[in-house]
Amino acid sequence: MEKSHRHHPNHSSSSSSSSTHFRSQKFRSNPTTKDGKFTKNNNPNAREDFVKPRRPSQQAQQHVDDSSNLPVLLGTCPFMCPVAERVQRERLRDLAVFERLDGNPRKTSSDLAVKKFCRTISIRDMPTSDLRPLPVLEDTLDYLLSFLDSSEHPFEVVHDFIFDRTRSIRQDLSMQNIDNEKAIYMYEKMVRFHVMSLHKLRSCTNENISSVHYLNMEQLTKALTTLFNLYDANRSSESINENEGESLSLWFRQVPIPIIKSKEMCFARRILRFFRMGNYKRFLLTTAAEASFLQYCIIEPYIIEVRELALSCINNGGYKLHPYPLTHLSKLLMMKCLWP
Amino acid sequence: MAAYPGMSMGEAHRRITEYLNRFSDAVSNQDAASLRFLLSLSSNSPFLLSLADALNIFQDSGRLIKHSDHYSQYSDILFNLFRSLQTYRLGNLFDSYQAFEKSANAFIQEFRNWESAWALEALYALAYEIRVLAERADRDLASNGKSPEKLKAAGSFLMKVFGVLAGKGPKRVGALYVTCQLFKVYFKLGTVHLCRSVIRSIETARIFDFEEFPKRDKVTYMYYTGRLEVFNENFPAADNKLSYALTHCNPRREANIRMILKYLIPVKLSIGILPKDWLLEKYNLVEYRDVVQALRRGDLRLLRRALQEHEDRFLRSGVFLVLEKLELQVYQRLVKKIYIIQKQKDPTKAHQVKLEVIVKALKWLEMDMDVDEVECIMSILIYKNLVKGYFAHKSKVVVLSKQDPFPKLNGKPVNS
Repeated sequence: MEKSHRHHPNHSSSSSSSSTHFRSQKFRSNPTTKDGKFTKNNNPNAREDFVKPRRPSQQAQQHVDDSSNLPVLLGTCPFMCPVAERVQRERLRDLAVFERLDGNPRKTSSDLAVKKFCRTISIRDMPTSDLRPLPVLEDTLDYLLSFLDSSEHPFEVVHDFIFDRTRSIRQDLSMQNIDNEKAIYMYEKMVRFHVMSLHKLRSCTNENISSVHYLNMEQLTKALTTLFNLYDANRSSESINENEGESLSLWFRQVPIPIIKSKEMCFARRILRFFRMGNYKRFLLTTAAEASFLQYCIIEPYIIEVRELALSCINNGGYKLHPYPLTHLSKLLMMKCLWP
Repeated sequence: MAAYPGMSMGEAHRRITEYLNRFSDAVSNQDAASLRFLLSLSSNSPFLLSLADALNIFQDSGRLIKHSDHYSQYSDILFNLFRSLQTYRLGNLFDSYQAFEKSANAFIQEFRNWESAWALEALYALAYEIRVLAERADRDLASNGKSPEKLKAAGSFLMKVFGVLAGKGPKRVGALYVTCQLFKVYFKLGTVHLCRSVIRSIETARIFDFEEFPKRDKVTYMYYTGRLEVFNENFPAADNKLSYALTHCNPRREANIRMILKYLIPVKLSIGILPKDWLLEKYNLVEYRDVVQALRRGDLRLLRRALQEHEDRFLRSGVFLVLEKLELQVYQRLVKKIYIIQKQKDPTKAHQVKLEVIVKALKWLEMDMDVDEVECIMSILIYKNLVKGYFAHKSKVVVLSKQDPFPKLNGKPVNS
């Protein structure tokens, strides 16, 4: 595959090679309750994520219940976008701004075009010449994520492009039942992208942003679910659990001990404890002191909730004749005080 | 697993024929107890084990089955049952499960045709064996690096059995036993969310009257559904169900009582009810002892230490988060103790508690908290109605209500 015109992925925070793999708890798309409950992850009708991954050793064996009771596909498309689709989209002028050759909305190239996500396609209809094999998918993903470093376009536009094209990558992975370590790395990168978007979309001003935000949460949840399944599948030969996240207690039962005791999980559990207890001081302090950027992106909506709780408590229990000093409040809630 | 040494062909033939006769007699006499015995593979009864040996020697049991009209009508059941026994004896649990499932399927077809519910006990044995054999088969699969799938299949089979029992006739009282087997399967697999549909069937279908079910099954059912409520932190519901299980459980079944208490105790603690020490001792639930003690004393350090010491156990059983949340009640107790001490010294000023005093008390417990954090905790306690009063930031003091400053939970969980 020609690499001459491609951006060289500059691995910054978006696809950072930080030492810790990002692991996170599942988060609801609508954080309102303080108990240990989570809403169910709705299974996608478009099969871009796994529901039942198979272990690598089992590629030949087929389960009766498995939805992929079909031959294992091996993609042969050498380009980021299958030729037929590229030509068609050129003709229909359906090219994203990043795909246009010299800005021409009717022209693209094999270096620029990236396969779009197709909701209605099923495995049976997908010819192997349209499926991209793993090495191509890896390169495509890195290429896509490199756009996060450019500031040429507003973030919503970049997000939209990467959002759609990575969905297609997940679809290709899923149709070929790729569930090895490389798939894990790719999913982790995609999860990082969605997490970062949580944060960055907040400062975007276009009017559709709340639905963009919602869809982003949705894909984050789906990608995370698949990632958990992949971890499970690659970890040991114990049974794979289709854990739909009914409750946090239930989920904790199944997480292996080394992970529960890991630094990241301990941090997450501590934050969770402060949150459930209502200890707003420690919650905010610990987040500020210890959360990594990605962790912060996920905790952000809860920070808002905790600040609200703090205000409710102080207002409820504070001595009414001596109003609570604003400067102290700003310190406590870690919010800038705009009054002198 | 060597075959029974020294059994002759003739002896083998005799044993097989004996089994076949017993089987057909049990059915024609509607003798569920005998039939049950004949189906209980995993019981490892000498009778069945030597039959398995006989089958491995004789090798042509199919011919014997077809030999007489009495039992040839059950040939599908018997042939596969024999296969299952043979492979079971040889340690091939995967094949044993497969064959047993085939046999069980054939049995269900017959069962459907029997009008009365005479064979329910035997059906229970079938349901039990399916699950147990599947578990063992999966263990084997896992240890050979293969994907375990038989317990899941057993779950599907049990759902089928449930469907057969879910009708208007007398057989419906068997549905709860099968439900409980399903619960055990789902809990083992971790697919606990699948319990929901069968619970819905039991609780909302008009054909079922919960009171009609056998007591033993009701206890088991309440135990599992109670545990589900614990996972979801619905404490009043969890209390109801687990308490039901406890009161109706056979007092001699100490192991079962222990299992119920394991989940009931955290629930009761969450609603402010503490167990007596002798209860924890009697049922060997000492992992809760320090937790209870911490609540009694307002000893935050002890609670944290207890949670840390038994962390793995509490996480596995799913009660860790429930116990963690008891912290607020421990704080409440601590502040109450300070109040009581102050009352003894000077009753007129007792209702004013300086935040510094609380900081000092916590320091004695090796808990490092500054005045701001203590104020935060106090404001939470007040907000959640664990403390009645207010706090004054400027004077760094909590002013408690003169009446009932530390309301009891009275069976309700702490306000969320």
